[in-house]
Amino acid sequence: MLTVEAVQAMIQRAFPGGRVEVSDMTGTSDHFEVEVVSELFEGKSRIDQHKMIHAAVADHLGGAIHALKIKTRTP
Amino acid sequence: MWNSEKIQEVVESNKIVIFAKGTKLMPMCGFSQHAIAIVGRLGKPFEVVNIFDDPSIRPALIEYSKWPTTPQVFVGGELLGGSDIVEEMMKDGELQKKVEAAFAG
Repeated sequence: MLTVEAVQAMIQRAFPGGRVEVSDMTGTSDHFEVEVVSELFEGKSRIDQHKMIHAAVADHLGGAIHALKIKTRTP
Repeated sequence: MWNSEKIQEVVESNKIVIFAKGTKLMPMCGFSQHAIAIVGRLGKPFEVVNIFDDPSIRPALIEYSKWPTTPQVFVGGELLGGSDIVEEMMKDGELQKKVEAAFAG
């Protein structure tokens, strides 16, 4: 089972200098809401921004992470 | 039998197409229903492919779009995303712009 801190750390590694906030949506440690503010999103479509976050947690998607609600913004 | 080439064919031959769980009139998942409703309100013709029609559709779609979930909304051949992204794009007018461009071309 993944903790909020573990998910946050995985995504933070992919967005150095970005602000990454993760919360547990259902209290069951498998539905996470993620908000990421990073300049790496500059000029990228929303779907590509979301794919970047999926890539950061790829090995847990569909397993420990059942669902991800994603919000992205450039600074 | 569906493969990513067939997905590409459908995506490029329809200005708006949604790969969803269920049909336009009978969506079988809340997210699919939400995406179909948002796109429906734009008043433009759109296609819905029910991934339950054939078990090979979903793996072919994921291979093509590199996106694991459904629904998947394509406008002008471009994957916009699922219901959350399409809703955000509708709220800030980006969805309407993409649709106008697709029908103008």
